[in-house]
Amino acid sequence: MTALLTLDYVAEKMKEYGTAEQVRSNRIRIRTTPERVSNAIQKALESLGCDRLITISTADNGTTFELFYHLIGPHRTVVSIAIEIPRDQPEVISMSGILSPAGIYERQIHDLFGIMFRGHPGLKKIILNEDWPADEFPLRKDWKKNPDTYYGGIKVERT
Amino acid sequence: MAALPESISQRLVNWARIKSPWITLFNSGACNACDIEVIACLMPRFDIERFGILAKGSPRHADILIVTGHVTLKQASRLRRVWEQISEPKYVIAMGACGASAGAFHGLYHIMERVEDVIPVDVYTAGCPPRPDEIINAVVTCLNLLKEDQVHGGKEWRQNKSDEMMKPIERKVEM
Repeated sequence: MTALLTLDYVAEKMKEYGTAEQVRSNRIRIRTTPERVSNAIQKALESLGCDRLITISTADNGTTFELFYHLIGPHRTVVSIAIEIPRDQPEVISMSGILSPAGIYERQIHDLFGIMFRGHPGLKKIILNEDWPADEFPLRKDWKKNPDTYYGGIKVERT
Repeated sequence: MAALPESISQRLVNWARIKSPWITLFNSGACNACDIEVIACLMPRFDIERFGILAKGSPRHADILIVTGHVTLKQASRLRRVWEQISEPKYVIAMGACGASAGAFHGLYHIMERVEDVIPVDVYTAGCPPRPDEIINAVVTCLNLLKEDQVHGGKEWRQNKSDEMMKPIERKVEM
């Protein structure tokens, strides 16, 4: 199974989870909802021949967070499963049970965007330093460095 | 380092220090371009070992600490600890644009921005990355500072001088 997946094939297999679109020649995106994302990924693993996760990418759209789960298999087609979650209640179910490498990406996203992953076994800091303030998320669009806040490292005494 | 009357052994030590400064390299989150330029110094084209400048792995053996990169928040305490392990007299070279003001990384969320915020810096080198001959020039500038400090009996005189004049250390780099 080394030929690229076609849009029709993917759309047929994934029709109960949402619409599929061809983003690039080797990339197909499926838009689904946060409630069905777990089943959609399970389905992609079982019936689309995907066997691993490349990464989870996140975007801040101002009103929502977009999460893309990029899956790939021996067919060399990237199947991206996209969801949108509201910005004022950033919560989504953790994929670490189905795809164990997802756990480490979810810790990163939790650090930098402040998205909660329900059911994650250890949602600790991974990228930011340990003494980083708990309610600041540096990759959110509205975040600004506050000169009065201590972000960790060494305290600077400027005269 | 107080101004002791110079014994023969102290004069011998001072002479040896200037003839063979040992440097150690600390990467505080740099993009590795500066590190490659330091490695290029050690390679046959520039070959700083013929001047007696040796790159050492341990800060406890070194006289001069070369810091590359903007200092990330995680590396700040480690840089401080490495600096504390160097025995006196010790000199610090902040390498490249990053060491002075974080360069291309200025304003990011995870950095201290200046080496000077963590440890006192004696010499800055300009460039992104600085060329190997500029690194050699910075080490030679450090040695000139060392000679002057031996005459004045410590580093304090430079602090007094910088109160009078604007940034005498930066002017020294351009000599």
